[in-house]
Amino acid sequence: MEDCMNRFERSTIILSLIEELRKKGSWCGDTHIQKAVFFLQELFGVSAGFGFILYKHGPFSFDLRTEIRAMQADRFLTLEPTPPYGVSLNRIKKGEDLMRDFSDFLNAYDIQIGFVAEKIGDMWVSNLEKLSTALYVTREQQKKDVEFRAKYMHDLKPHITLTDARSFIKKIDVLVEESKTV
Amino acid sequence: MTSEIHEFCDPIHTFIRLDSDERKIVDLYPFQRLRNICQLALCYLIFPGATHKRFEHSLGVMELAGRVFDVITNPFNIHSKVKKIVPKKKELEYWRRVLRVAALCHDIGHSPFSHTAESDLLKEGGHELMTVKIIKSNIFKKIWKELKLKSDDIVKIAVGQEKIQKFSDLKFSDWEAVLSEVIIDDALGVDRMDYLLRDSYYTGVVSGRFDHFRLIDTIRILPREDYNSGEPALGVEEGGLRCVEALLLARYFMYSQVYFHHVRRIYDLHLKDFLKSLFPNMMPDKINEYLKLTDNEILVEIYKASRDNNNSSYKEACRIVKREHYKLLYKGNREDEEISINALTLIFDEACKKFGKENLRFDERYIKGGKEDLPVLIKDGRIMSALMCSKVLNDIPPVKTNYIFASRDIYSKAEKWLDVNRKKILNKNKKDR
Repeated sequence: MEDCMNRFERSTIILSLIEELRKKGSWCGDTHIQKAVFFLQELFGVSAGFGFILYKHGPFSFDLRTEIRAMQADRFLTLEPTPPYGVSLNRIKKGEDLMRDFSDFLNAYDIQIGFVAEKIGDMWVSNLEKLSTALYVTREQQKKDVEFRAKYMHDLKPHITLTDARSFIKKIDVLVEESKTV
Repeated sequence: MTSEIHEFCDPIHTFIRLDSDERKIVDLYPFQRLRNICQLALCYLIFPGATHKRFEHSLGVMELAGRVFDVITNPFNIHSKVKKIVPKKKELEYWRRVLRVAALCHDIGHSPFSHTAESDLLKEGGHELMTVKIIKSNIFKKIWKELKLKSDDIVKIAVGQEKIQKFSDLKFSDWEAVLSEVIIDDALGVDRMDYLLRDSYYTGVVSGRFDHFRLIDTIRILPREDYNSGEPALGVEEGGLRCVEALLLARYFMYSQVYFHHVRRIYDLHLKDFLKSLFPNMMPDKINEYLKLTDNEILVEIYKASRDNNNSSYKEACRIVKREHYKLLYKGNREDEEISINALTLIFDEACKKFGKENLRFDERYIKGGKEDLPVLIKDGRIMSALMCSKVLNDIPPVKTNYIFASRDIYSKAEKWLDVNRKKILNKNKKDR
């Protein structure tokens, strides 16, 4: 089903993430949505067809970035400066209408979206980068121990210290286990 | 070994200078081939001056890349927190060469008529994959050895992280990521700078211009302190922010007036139809066969087909050669989208039922890329996101196409039909929901 998501279905997933992240205290910048979609995909297999690569601030999807811009063109959301944080994504009326029209579709993903929002909703960008990079590395270097993955992560992103890398690799292992119970 | 400096006269940059080693790359066939690939495909059918080629564009990108490199590596311009990623003086000469060569070769893998049918006729990886293959081929091996350049470094910087990771596991250091941004970055990339200026000049659409001199002068490598991250990225000093706005406004104007012009779009669709009939099994991906294809070979086939009404591609060819292109029947608009979110699709589906799918074409495209969230060095030393400093950058609207085209055979009937039935179609969907 996920591979066949159409444009409106993808938009509702993104809008729903924005809504849930806001409820958890997030200011919902572009980075938050990027990482939230990444977690949704990697933890629960909810794939809207966005390919992620390791880029600035960790895993990033250029397709998702274009999609968000398209949603802005379609007037499902706006991007507004939110001092002192950055530019935040805001769902607007047409986006709400879209979510209402696709409520049956969204119901299937309520729990997974809620889980992701709960876990990362109150995180700052720097920690989001570390946590999502830890997940990316863990997926790429499956069955490798914490120390190996932490060093790999530090080598990929030298500005993330080895200590931080270790800490976030351990956090992601816990998160992955918790997601299996959802 | 003495090296000469060669000069090309160029209407955009006045002079483009390169040394004898770079000249050797220009003289090779894969680069000379770009003399026969139009930058804007069939856009010259709407803007008669738009006959410029990828050849001069690539030279222009090389020229600008060298200028940006000199600015960002000037010791006076290096921010203290990114000093550690900038190579030592001895290595800088190597990286300057790599950057200029990468800029020169960044489009070397383009198919005929540029982007027109890329997604349908090239394997996944598109022209970037062909660029990598060509750069790493035997044609260039000797020259890279002679110039002591690593082909991996060139391909990384020429193609960039986004595209190269689709078909390679090459990893980028922070420095390499910054260098690839010099060419391909959304806001500050010299590829965009050159094509906007060049396309504006040759189409005659003046609103594509901006002050690239001042912009380049203010480019810096900055740490992303606005995101509490030490990661370096290309940004500008505060004095260059207006130039960034001008560039992105120029981009908006060029997209809405040229690249997404409705007649341009329908010609692209007709050309795509023709190319798909010419290459039913996709374009060749063996380098020697691929490099034989330029716009010239395709145009010959188009003209041949248009003169032979037994040719299977006769109709597609006539649409291009005899200006029998489909006409714009409907353009999406806010009023209709308020009634139904997918107004365009609904009208297209109903029109197809009425007039037959072969008589209609649908075009919905969005401008690629996201909001240009580059770092800006404020006068007091803080680094902020450009989107926090500039209302203009926040308010530039994203551009999209939302067109339905109809063949001339049914156009008058379709126009009348739409006039009578449009509201009914949109409201029917509302009721059904």
